[in-house]
Amino acid sequence: MKRKVLTAFGLLAMFATILFCLGLPGSKAQAKTYQIGTDVTYPPFEFANKSNKYVGIDIDIMQAIAKEEGFKVNVKPVGFNAAVQSVQSGQLDGIIAGMTITPERKDKFDFGTPYYKTGAVMAVKKGSDITSLKQLKGKKVALKTGTAAADYANSLKKKYGFKTVTFDDSDNMYQDVTTGNSVACFDDQPVLQYGIKHGLKLQIATKPANQGWYGFGVKKGTHKELVQKFNAGLKKIRANGTYDKIVGKYLGTTANSKVKGKTFIIGTDVTFPPFEFANKNNKYVGIDMDLIRAIANEQGFKVKIKALGFNAAVQAVESGQADGVIAGMSITNERKAQFDFSKPYFNSGVVMAVAKNSKIHKLSQLKGKKVAVKTGTSGADYANSIKKKYGFKVVTFDDSNNMYQDVTTGNSIACFEDHPVMQYAIKQGTKLKIVTKPALNAPYGFAVKKGHNKALLQAFNTGLEDLKASGTYDTIKAKYLGADEIKTAAKTSGNSAEDRTFIGLIKQNKGALLSGLQETLWLTVVSIFFATIFGVLVGLMGVVPNKFSRGTSTTLIYLFRGMPLLVLALFIYTGIPSLTGQKIPAFIAGVVTLTFNEGAYIAAFVKGGIQAVDPGQMEAARSLGLPFGKSMRKIILPQGIKIMVPSFINQFIITLKDTSILSIIGLLELTQTGKIIIARNLEGFKVWTIVAAIYLIIITVLTWLSNWVQRRTKV
Amino acid sequence: MSEKVKVTNLVKTFGDNEVLKGINLTVQNNEVVVIIGPSGSGKSTLLRNLNKLEEPTSGSIVIDNVDIARDDVDINSVRENIGMVFQHFNLFKNLSVGENIMLAPVELKKEAKDEAEDQAKKLLATVGLEEKFDATVQSLSGGQQQRVAIARALAMNPDIMLFDEPTSALDPEMVGDVLEVMKRLAKQGMTMVVVTHEMGFAKEVADRVVFVDDGQILEEGTPEQIFEHPKNERLQDFLNKILNV
Ligand SMILES: Nc1ncnc2c1ncn2[C@@H]1O[C@H](COP(=O)(O)OP(=O)(O)OP(=O)(O)O)[C@@H](O)[C@H]1O
Ligand SMILES: [Mg+2]
Repeated sequence: MKRKVLTAFGLLAMFATILFCLGLPGSKAQAKTYQIGTDVTYPPFEFANKSNKYVGIDIDIMQAIAKEEGFKVNVKPVGFNAAVQSVQSGQLDGIIAGMTITPERKDKFDFGTPYYKTGAVMAVKKGSDITSLKQLKGKKVALKTGTAAADYANSLKKKYGFKTVTFDDSDNMYQDVTTGNSVACFDDQPVLQYGIKHGLKLQIATKPANQGWYGFGVKKGTHKELVQKFNAGLKKIRANGTYDKIVGKYLGTTANSKVKGKTFIIGTDVTFPPFEFANKNNKYVGIDMDLIRAIANEQGFKVKIKALGFNAAVQAVESGQADGVIAGMSITNERKAQFDFSKPYFNSGVVMAVAKNSKIHKLSQLKGKKVAVKTGTSGADYANSIKKKYGFKVVTFDDSNNMYQDVTTGNSIACFEDHPVMQYAIKQGTKLKIVTKPALNAPYGFAVKKGHNKALLQAFNTGLEDLKASGTYDTIKAKYLGADEIKTAAKTSGNSAEDRTFIGLIKQNKGALLSGLQETLWLTVVSIFFATIFGVLVGLMGVVPNKFSRGTSTTLIYLFRGMPLLVLALFIYTGIPSLTGQKIPAFIAGVVTLTFNEGAYIAAFVKGGIQAVDPGQMEAARSLGLPFGKSMRKIILPQGIKIMVPSFINQFIITLKDTSILSIIGLLELTQTGKIIIARNLEGFKVWTIVAAIYLIIITVLTWLSNWVQRRTKV
Repeated sequence: MSEKVKVTNLVKTFGDNEVLKGINLTVQNNEVVVIIGPSGSGKSTLLRNLNKLEEPTSGSIVIDNVDIARDDVDINSVRENIGMVFQHFNLFKNLSVGENIMLAPVELKKEAKDEAEDQAKKLLATVGLEEKFDATVQSLSGGQQQRVAIARALAMNPDIMLFDEPTSALDPEMVGDVLEVMKRLAKQGMTMVVVTHEMGFAKEVADRVVFVDDGQILEEGTPEQIFEHPKNERLQDFLNKILNV
């Protein structure tokens, strides 16, 4: 029976090849057709589907790679052993047949890059209470001959005291378990997974053991170019998602297994209630936050939320610093060019809001007036698209709170904001009112960088569907926007109960402010340490008698002093990862930024300080026979350092202040902490006063310290 | 007498400016040579070439049979044997008087601290400043600073001393003390090359006087020959100007 199938398929394949070659006579010259052997039936890697077409992970991967690399393959299901022998005899060019890479096989084959990880698992009858190998004692276990899983089981037999029954094919082995003859069977994980997906009444009871890799093989020492093409193509289909699609097609749950246990960095906004904001305990909550956490929980992955601000979050995803962004982000066609979006998880629209006592209630009243928007929001897009028509000017803010304030203070006459956001802010006490119906209905989506993190996106979509089905989605939404949203909102933020005096604000946010201050100080100290090393080195390079070294020093100082700190920070944090594909933690990016920037200033005054020392000092030292380095250390530097001390202390203070700029890359230092607190309680004036006071206190202390040091060194 | 220094065809240019135009000069052991000449004539440049504070452009400078003009000499060890005294003293401002003198012996000869201290105190005594060992440089007068500078140069036991107008930055009443120290050194047989405008010193101490003008040696001879019977016209002019001021 088996042989018949085999021959039939061999003939069919041959026939197909002939037809193919006849049909495309020119193509043969362009692309070589490789003969690849595979197994007859080894689902999900190779098997004939209902219409008797050969499909499976192996087949599809091989075809995809061939397409990618521009060669042709003719995959022949000759059976595993036959394929092995045909490759050795040179009748076939390669073999792809769920073939585990083993040292023995490596003696005869050259393998391409491993393309699939596998391992042996134990499966038991659905509902069975056997969950570990220990429970097998004295029981019968079913195996299939010649499989790696059988070898594994045989190696455990003695230790766990079970008996084995061997079958020639998988179906019979499975049947022996479902009928209860054997209590368990061992098989390769993907094979079992596939079977269970297709109705096998078994369940997997152990984690994959004896893990190995499947590889594509050619006869040792031959077909080097084929292996190379295979490797190159595999890399490409892994990168472009084809690989995941193929595996997903057969094993279904790839999204889950791909994301399971992994931690993803999710960027979000700092100030976008009710979607994301820090609650009283400075934990991020909101619709977006609850949703992504619930989905992560459901799909078995972990998320690390980074409240970077909308623009920074978007850039972080583009540069690969973050895996995804959920930040009340409208799905637009422009964004689709850069991002892959999930299915919409929320429907929003843009409304216009004005001050509570304003008479403005329609767009036509805006003529000649100023209107506030927040950068990058659909509210901003909408306002910009109609500003010509209605003749108003647009003022842009980075932060919702500042935008609202601009309207309440009367600077701007109105603002445009997403409906739920505006609703929530008004409930929170913002003195605005909504005067238009939602326009520009826009769905919000979760986004990943285009072509990346497919599994995460898939998991999000699956999870979202599940949450909608289970009702969790509605619960989350209702928590922030539901019928009783006023009460909930008040409860969430404790609006009425909170003490909004300075003392009260300090008390409530003591922990956050202190940890922000700590981060600021830590950043300052670490940065000034490295900046000093960098600056002294570059400064010294500027005074040694060597043209190249002096040129390097001048160039470095010019470069890093000339670049705005903000630009440098963004370049290092988002630019470098785009170039290298390597993530940089924000703290390190911050330290590197400050090291270069402050270091350049330090280098300049180190150089200047040394040059300010009377050249006669150096001549006198050299005339005594002291070498350059020693003269520098013993005579010039001690005098130069005295000149540098005031500049150095000044630089220390500047560095401390400059750390605030690093809030742009989401570092939770003092300024960013302030932003987050304000995002929650909307007490901009008071909180900024507190933050400013903290900076002033620290800087005053430093100034005292500097005066003391200067007095001591002057003697 | 044997040759201590032999300068042959020494040329020094700064960019396009040829400052030394082929100097030939020999200094014997224990000889005191005084260099005179108008301002800008290249006296300091000549002196600074002798310990390579300036890099010679061409020519040779042989000291103790070693041509120090070559690139491969270890100039630091050569300098250990050549003391130099500057117009503006150049004492190390970050060090005390004693430390100024001890620095080179301790750093280069690896002398023990107390040994170096003894020697420094002795040297200070010879320049009449034994009580200034712990003083700061800033607390000394110009004349005192210059004497400390001489003591510092002597601390390495050099066998040549170079002086570049050692008294011209001093108030007149302090010049005498410094010249006194230099005279004593000369008497002890130190080989000295001195750039100075102190003609009295030249007449009394110099074995030979060298007149430099416009980067060239125009005349040299005993003090008597130079001061009493100058042959070169420009030397005569120069002496007239100096002596009649
Ligand atoms: N480092 C330098 N770079 C360029 N030119 C220099 C340098 N040092 C000296 N000169 C030039 O070389 C010439 C000779 O200078 P030098 O100092 O040797 O003269 P001097 O005879 O010692 O004069 P003075 O009596 O004023 O000290 C001058 O024209 C001076 O400008
Ligand atoms: Mg001079």
